[in-house]
Amino acid sequence: MSATDHDHDGALEAESPPLHVKPATFAAFAAGAVAMFVLSRFVPGSFPVLLAAVVGALVPGKLGRGDQGWKVRAPMAIMAGLLALFVVRLWPATSGMDIPDGPPPAESASLLSWLIALPILGAIAILFTPRQAVQTLRGMTLGIMLATLALSLPLLRVKMGREFHFNQDVVWMKDLGIHYHVAVDGISLWLILLTTFIVPIATFASFGSIDKRIKDWCFALLLLEGAMIGSFLALDLFLFYVFWELMLVPMYVMIGVWGGENRIKAAIKFFLYTMFGSVLMLAAILYLAYTYGKVTGGVASFDYFELQRLMIPRNTQLWLFGAFALSFVIKVPMFPVHTWLPDAHTEAPTAGSVILAAVMLKLGTYGYLRFCMGLFPEACAEAAANLAGVAVLGGILYGALCAWRQDDVKRLVAYSSVAHLGYVMLGIFSASNASLEGAVLQMVNHGISTGMLFLLVGVVYDRRHTRQLGDFGGLAKVMPIYTALFIVATMASVGLPGTNGFVGEFMVITGTFSSTRLGTFNGVQAAGAAFGVILGALYMLTAVQRMFYGPITKVENRHLKDVNSRELLALAPLAVMVFVIGLFPNIFLLQIRDACARVSSDMSARVEMNRAPLFYQGPPTLIARKPEATKLPVATGSASTALSSK
Amino acid sequence: MESGVLSTLFPAENFSLIAVILGMPLLGAFVNGIWGKRLGNNAVRLMALSAVGVSFLASVVSFASLYALVHASGVTKGEHGESMHEHVKLAWTAWEWMHTTGGKSVVTIPINVKFSIDALSSVMMLVITGVGFLIHLYSTAYMEKDKGFARFFAYLNLFIFSMLVLVLADNLPLLFVGWEGVGLCSYLLIGFWYEKNENASAGKKAFIANRVGDLGLLCAMFLLAYYTGALDWTGIAAGADSLATTTPSTGVHIWPIGGNQYTNFLSFLQPKVPITVTGATGVAIMLLLGCTGKSAQIPLYVWLPDAMAGPTPVSALIHAATMVTAGVYLICRLSFVFVLSPFVMMLVACIGAATALFAATIALVQTDIKKVLAYSTVSQLGFMFLGVGVGAFTAGFFHVFTHAFFKACLFLGSGSVIHAMHGRVHDDVKAQDIRNMGGLHKYMPITFWTFAASTAAIIGFPFTSGFFSKDEILYKVMVNRTLHPMRVAYEKSHFDYFSPPPWLGTVLYAVAILAATMTAFYMCRVFFITFFGTFRGWTVGRPSALAQVEAAHGDHGHDDHHDEDLSIPGYAPHESPWQMTVPLILLATMAIGAGILNAGLFHFEPLNNWLDPVFESASHAGVVDGDPEHHKMWSLAAPGMLAFAIGTAIAYWMYILQKGGPAKKLAEAAPGLHALVYDKCASTSSTTTRSSRPSSRSQKRRRPSTSGSSTPSSPAYRSP
Repeated sequence: MSATDHDHDGALEAESPPLHVKPATFAAFAAGAVAMFVLSRFVPGSFPVLLAAVVGALVPGKLGRGDQGWKVRAPMAIMAGLLALFVVRLWPATSGMDIPDGPPPAESASLLSWLIALPILGAIAILFTPRQAVQTLRGMTLGIMLATLALSLPLLRVKMGREFHFNQDVVWMKDLGIHYHVAVDGISLWLILLTTFIVPIATFASFGSIDKRIKDWCFALLLLEGAMIGSFLALDLFLFYVFWELMLVPMYVMIGVWGGENRIKAAIKFFLYTMFGSVLMLAAILYLAYTYGKVTGGVASFDYFELQRLMIPRNTQLWLFGAFALSFVIKVPMFPVHTWLPDAHTEAPTAGSVILAAVMLKLGTYGYLRFCMGLFPEACAEAAANLAGVAVLGGILYGALCAWRQDDVKRLVAYSSVAHLGYVMLGIFSASNASLEGAVLQMVNHGISTGMLFLLVGVVYDRRHTRQLGDFGGLAKVMPIYTALFIVATMASVGLPGTNGFVGEFMVITGTFSSTRLGTFNGVQAAGAAFGVILGALYMLTAVQRMFYGPITKVENRHLKDVNSRELLALAPLAVMVFVIGLFPNIFLLQIRDACARVSSDMSARVEMNRAPLFYQGPPTLIARKPEATKLPVATGSASTALSSK
Repeated sequence: MESGVLSTLFPAENFSLIAVILGMPLLGAFVNGIWGKRLGNNAVRLMALSAVGVSFLASVVSFASLYALVHASGVTKGEHGESMHEHVKLAWTAWEWMHTTGGKSVVTIPINVKFSIDALSSVMMLVITGVGFLIHLYSTAYMEKDKGFARFFAYLNLFIFSMLVLVLADNLPLLFVGWEGVGLCSYLLIGFWYEKNENASAGKKAFIANRVGDLGLLCAMFLLAYYTGALDWTGIAAGADSLATTTPSTGVHIWPIGGNQYTNFLSFLQPKVPITVTGATGVAIMLLLGCTGKSAQIPLYVWLPDAMAGPTPVSALIHAATMVTAGVYLICRLSFVFVLSPFVMMLVACIGAATALFAATIALVQTDIKKVLAYSTVSQLGFMFLGVGVGAFTAGFFHVFTHAFFKACLFLGSGSVIHAMHGRVHDDVKAQDIRNMGGLHKYMPITFWTFAASTAAIIGFPFTSGFFSKDEILYKVMVNRTLHPMRVAYEKSHFDYFSPPPWLGTVLYAVAILAATMTAFYMCRVFFITFFGTFRGWTVGRPSALAQVEAAHGDHGHDDHHDEDLSIPGYAPHESPWQMTVPLILLATMAIGAGILNAGLFHFEPLNNWLDPVFESASHAGVVDGDPEHHKMWSLAAPGMLAFAIGTAIAYWMYILQKGGPAKKLAEAAPGLHALVYDKCASTSSTTTRSSRPSSRSQKRRRPSTSGSSTPSSPAYRSP
């Protein structure tokens, strides 16, 4: 039984002989090590980046015939290096962000506009590209998206704090009080980056499976990206509404054209649900602007900060809040208006599902956090306890139980989204500092982990053209890398500590318990949310077992190919981000922190001023403009400064 | 001089050697996980062994540093006038992880990736890396033929890393990282041979049972954050007083939910006095839920017997020596919270005693060697819970320590036996069935002697390690009383508080003695059936030509099952290679000798003195020692020795003198009882072969699932 007796055993040795390093390889490694050492002496902080790049380059193994090594290794090395650079540059020092002393970097006023315009201009450019030039179309799309990603990185150089940054406020329609007003704060910052990060990944992955109407596909994707970024940035309610509706169209088309068998039904359902909410929101927006005009006796305003000044009596406020909240809650979606989501996800193409789950749903949660809580704090406080109950029972628990009983793996992931967004909404309703931070981080987390899950489901769908759990089984034997990636995504989804899911859930749950917004039910809500972690493990592990473990029962599964280079390149950055957020959440939290503190203290201030249960009963009036609000543009500045006193 | 160099290199406040202790296993897991298949088995072996080996060496150095630091620190007078050291730590903050809010006056609670080594975690750390290294070494031979060699070592290294995070963490959320990390590794390793659905199900069951416990830990965390405003050990200790405040409004409302009033038609739900518990009780119950999940206590014990589906070294490392003791470790770590709630302390002790007895009864009749050991682990963990539940934290922890050696040795010994059985019996179920073994002491002398040594330890053979640790627990159960640390303040303010009844100690003592007797019986039963009598696995003799051909193409993994006619003579079962026997010998030595570290009977207690600073505040405040002068020590040790003697004697009579006749008769006389006790592990119908008289129900269930692979048709398949 000595070691050498069995060296020839097993199938594994057949393809990989025992450790056998060629002198040339060894020399290359030694030279590389020396070079890295030397370089790291000259460029401080470059060592981890180089190390990550080398490790990234070495990770891909044999990826099947036809894949040239460097075509995978080079991008892997670059991505690993960039992600390491990201962590190193944003490494939180003891006293907050490690921003060099001296004047803060100049904030280009047009940066955000370029961020919105670039994808939209790209979409227009796509229209003028010939339909037959498939490679050009793909290259252009990806290039524009990567350029947008690069353009969004300067946002990270600024310490966000409580204020809004990169403010651009231009009068658009003067008589109606409509501005083009965009700005970014700690809450929208990471959602913007999530968008610019996820969309290229989803697009890149989709090029493997979408093979008809490439031009239309590229156009829709770019338009969608622009609209989503615009919605996150808009601080003028009219502008927000424009982007909010603009976003709907490409997604509707994506589901309807490139979707599965029941795509038309799912697309119409998706459209009707969201449209129903947004029309109500439009009415509420118009009412708000009109009221503002009436109170000031001047022009109406759609500006977020101006409308924040409106003090609206309780009844009216509840109705307005209801209209806004319904629109956002449909988008999130929360029980009982979540039913469009499983259908839309099941029928949407992979990239559509990824973008829908990772970014579009976040617009619901973001909208609630920014607009409902900003404009109607009293109504939010009044409804919080009940809505939190819905989030726990209907979202976290009911969503998880539904997910558990699904046979279609994509439906399962869709229901798991309902459960995860239940955590986000619970954190927002609780409105304590930690729970708000946790909720914002959980939005990003959900984008990463669910996006990854949808991509993974897409991988296996491309091979087998089925998503039924019963059609799989034993895939771990034929697709080991795929299995490993799926388990990483699963663990992120169930919130294993060390992955991103845990940080968000933990902060939401502890924040909920110390919240004062939920009446006497904070303990129960927190315990219910904690109970969700059991159900999360239950449905995800059941799915993993049915897909990957056990014997291979279906003949078709016996020779499935493992992930190819394209899929690996799409999945790798997400897998890395799972651990980056899980291990170094402070990189993200330090930017989110003060903005969340602002939201919760603003809300507390208003609620303290107008005590429950009646709140404010008088006619609509104006209160002082928030100190964090951006400066008014010159054109209307004189008019409203005169009115700014209460 | 050496310690001088060490303390300058690694100051106590920035003890970065911890990075090596933790980093090496993580590196091993990463390298083996990603490049393992490409590197080949030799490199994987090298990486895995060096990772844990270096980690062990670094642990030894850290231990030495801590020892030097402890002796350099101030000495205070203890309770009984003995000298006692301060509670010192070697700490290292890696980076700031996150923060949350909590506390009565809402404060920000920073949560850092901070590790610390104190007396308690240093011992755990040595056990984990030391026993872990031996088991890694053992596995290099045991898993040699397996296709998932690299994957196995990646998981195993990841486990060592997670376990180290668990014990070295300086705050509860970071401990939770390790806590769930070991759960994940356990899940992956139980389902290591994932092509069998039962194994995958067992893994899932373990993970979900653990998750139920994790719910408790999560709830405990937000309660602690709320009440104490801190989540690190020092902060929790500092704020622990606010957990036990007496005003009802600061307690945890149990019913009505959230302290709400039911006024309308639901008013019948409204109790006269709202049911509240103190924060301490709430936290401790939630922590206890977590601990029962991880340490397989009632009610969450169900996963551990199924976890035996994993490879045997995994059972030894995770499901005997290290991970399952994490619950006991957590209770020890937060002992100062637990003593604030005598009710929960009583609950811990009762759960421990009940589990010890209950699991022992199941172990009496199991025929799968690993199942017996699994239930015995559950039972021994019950003893540990019993120990910490009566406030004997050192005794409970000492049992963790000795149990790690003897149970690891037992599991590895059983693995050695199974390895030998796999020479010709290729079905996992049959290879692990003690009815197919017998007489192995002739063929496997080293395995026999080491198994004998560790059996002696677990059944409490006088002056082995298990004797000292179990005896200490039994003694403390009888003499200790847990009282509320705040009793004086409570009485002043006329606040009703809970005190455990005075007869509780006697009852628990009786239960524990009964469980100890059963332990002696079932362990001797396994030992006698496996190693004495005649070999029943196959006919031993000169192999025929056919069998030689069969043996020559032995390139099968553990998952290949081809039936072999076992009546054809074959080579005798062989002793295992040195990679497997050396760990056995070392562990057996420790199983015999480790008791000397805390030989209370001889008033020689280095471990007790070492750990005293950790438990000082807890035991000083809430535990009354009924026998401070140790007069009753020897008289209370007598029943323990008697339990050992009776259990062993019955087993000797039944299985050596009467060759198993009485056991068979007993099973036939009371088939219902036998089936009931046997089927307590009925949750997985397929991994166990049914007893000689299976009920029709279980037969029906078995047929479709095993599909002929384990039908008891071979002549070798006799029941004793």
